[in-house]
Amino acid sequence: MSESGDHVTTRATEQPAPADETSAEAVETHPPHSPVTPIFRVRDLNVFYADFHAVKDVNLIIAENEITALIGPSGCGKSTVLRCFNRMNDLIDIARVVGDVRYHGTDLYAEDVDPVEVRRRIGMVFQKPNPFPKSIYDNVAFGPKISGFKGNLDELVESSLTKAALFDEVKDKLGDSAYALSGGQQQRLCIARAIATSPDVLLMDEPCSALDPIATMRIEELMQNLKQDYTILIVTHNMQQAARVSDKTAFFNVEVDEGGQRTGHLVEFDETGKIFTNPAQPATEDYITGRFG
Amino acid sequence: MTLDKPVIDTAAVVHQRLTGRRVQWRELAFETALLLMLLLSVGVLVVLLADVIAASLPVFRTRAGDFITGQLSSSATTAGVGSSIIGSLALTAIVAVLAFPVGIGTAIYLEEYAGDTRLARLVRTNIRNLAGVPSIVYGILGFAIFVRFVDAVGLGGATNGRNVLTGGLTLTALVLPIIIITASEALRAVPDSIREAGYGVGATRWEVVRSHVLPAAAPGVLTGTVLTLARAFGETAPLLLVGAVTGFFTLGSSATLLDRFTDAYGALPVTVFAWSRQPGDDFRALAAAAIVVLLVVLLTANAAAIILRNRYERKW
Amino acid sequence: MVLEHPQDETRHHFTEILHEIQHGLVRMGSLVEENVLRAGSAMVEGRIGLVEMVRNADEPINEMYARLERQTFETLARQQPVAGDLRFLVATTRILYELERSGDLAVNCVKVLDRLHGLPEHPELNATLRQLVAATVKVFRMGIDAIADMTDDAGVVIEQADDEVDDLVSEYYTTIAQVSGDIGLDAGIGLSRIGRFLERIADHAVNIGENVQYIVTAEFPGDTHAALTDED
Repeated sequence: MSESGDHVTTRATEQPAPADETSAEAVETHPPHSPVTPIFRVRDLNVFYADFHAVKDVNLIIAENEITALIGPSGCGKSTVLRCFNRMNDLIDIARVVGDVRYHGTDLYAEDVDPVEVRRRIGMVFQKPNPFPKSIYDNVAFGPKISGFKGNLDELVESSLTKAALFDEVKDKLGDSAYALSGGQQQRLCIARAIATSPDVLLMDEPCSALDPIATMRIEELMQNLKQDYTILIVTHNMQQAARVSDKTAFFNVEVDEGGQRTGHLVEFDETGKIFTNPAQPATEDYITGRFG
Repeated sequence: MTLDKPVIDTAAVVHQRLTGRRVQWRELAFETALLLMLLLSVGVLVVLLADVIAASLPVFRTRAGDFITGQLSSSATTAGVGSSIIGSLALTAIVAVLAFPVGIGTAIYLEEYAGDTRLARLVRTNIRNLAGVPSIVYGILGFAIFVRFVDAVGLGGATNGRNVLTGGLTLTALVLPIIIITASEALRAVPDSIREAGYGVGATRWEVVRSHVLPAAAPGVLTGTVLTLARAFGETAPLLLVGAVTGFFTLGSSATLLDRFTDAYGALPVTVFAWSRQPGDDFRALAAAAIVVLLVVLLTANAAAIILRNRYERKW
Repeated sequence: MVLEHPQDETRHHFTEILHEIQHGLVRMGSLVEENVLRAGSAMVEGRIGLVEMVRNADEPINEMYARLERQTFETLARQQPVAGDLRFLVATTRILYELERSGDLAVNCVKVLDRLHGLPEHPELNATLRQLVAATVKVFRMGIDAIADMTDDAGVVIEQADDEVDDLVSEYYTTIAQVSGDIGLDAGIGLSRIGRFLERIADHAVNIGENVQYIVTAEFPGDTHAALTDED
């Protein structure tokens, strides 16, 4: 006699773990409850800056069309890990990425993989809005142009700006300088710019930390809409934002060894609802309740 | 030592403290000293200018037009700076054509492509050192190498290599380090966030440099170049060594363009030098007049640099 | 007003969650109301077959309670609610309790019925009981409607309506006392317990109303604090 129309937003129903999760280690890396299409699979990721061991032994599976948040105290390596997903660490001379990062099954760090192509498919939005010193139109059009886009550029610019919830505000002034926009608008422009190359992943490195609360809310709302078409990874030092916005949360922490070297590592990775109501690790609970970090 | 408990002043005491004004003698003294230094610097310049202009008036009052278009001559009453101006302009043009692309290209490579290796740092340090080398050393270099080289390839002309080409090459060597440094500074001033944004949408290094870094650095590079050319215009010592003519010369009316480049030439600063060594007030007046012409050209160039910079300054 | 937000608001996702919880409460309330009617039917019309149904129908009610409570706590943890949103979520935890207890009380009624193997046939008793059930359900429905409509005087209004239930219960006790000789002590006690259960269902509805009033106005009506005066 139960009314079965109720839709539960958070807990997915119990399902057996995906077929390829055979090792115990794999179960630990991904919450076994929800059925997912994995888009990224990270195994034994370690990042070094010259001799400095910045991040160690990260194992993660990122699910498609979800928002995954990376949280943790300063120096825990979350931005470093994020930048591994689109090979932005290549731009740092002394950075060395060791391990397996697979995107749709392809190892991103294989010899024959072109980082430029990687970055067209895996877009990035940065902490401080950084539009090009060009017009709004040119900002969005640049990416597609250099990747050889042959179709209607005007339409592409419009649809990218629309998806970034910015078109209505700028449709009469596409030729204006991008710098004439407010901080929140500039960040949405950067999102539109990232979307224009038709990626399927958006990496966001603390996208709201330079914005006021209302602009932040608008972008969080935008992310909810975007996740239907994109997979989103967001690094945020604002754990309340992670709680509001993400489906899964990965908590990173810093480990200090005898030599004083600070290395980041993954402590816990689970559904956001679980992390914020009943985390498995005491360190996680301490961090999210503001007891340290 | 423990802190005493704070004394809570009454409103009256607070008011008195806030409004009682004491003259800050040290502040005043310091500000006055700085002002005096400013006046001193400006004063020196003003005195120099006044002196030069006053000395040049005899020439300008009587035959300004002739002076500017006339040829070098041993006679004080007929000498003019015409050929020297042309020589200087030719030199500057050569420097612009050679030093600009090479210098900027080097700067782009060093800043955008070279990374921070030991070798790169060595190169940068040495370029900085080269910029500090006295200009006369470049003159020696020019004489030892460029003059002989130009002569050897058959462009020596009647002067066996002491021509505008050599002068231009020598000056190019002189200003190259400066252009490289200025352009490097302009490129470095472009925030990294723009490059990151470019890479983020899947641009290659050259696409990022060409589409974003260079346009953003352009005003700085332009200004730096114009200022450097202005400086080259005023260089004297190296030109003396590579053979700018200080006395009378003429190319004759049948001189071809090639002749003009391979034959003798004069340069404005060299002319000033030459005239100032001649005995007699007439030549001193001529030297002063030449200095005025030189200054006018330099000031115009600087003004042009400022206007250009303001024009292309980031309107964004 | 609480749970009403401007069209172009920036926390769409969060607002949807709140609406979901609100609808969940209303649906759970409807399930309870249905079960009270069912229990009433069993008692008044002597349909003993319904007893089992009433018991079974309480399970989904308990499941909804657990699920909505978990959802409410998770929303509190994740969305940092303040003001009206916070009052709504905190009051929801209380309302869930009131609803769940009401469901249990309906089951308690049919348990008595079961133990007595049916209620004694007495026209006057029956008539009063019928009226009492109707009044209880009416008041309870008012509580559910209050959740759906978020009225600012729900507490006061439902409290007044509860007077009718209280009067009927008094009448019912009096009647039981009058006929106690005929029906026997056991039945007498059982019937008065049923009367008590129904009165408490109506009281829970009053509490629901007061919690709704709190959500809207940030105040509990009068001096009586609903949570403090809640029995059992």
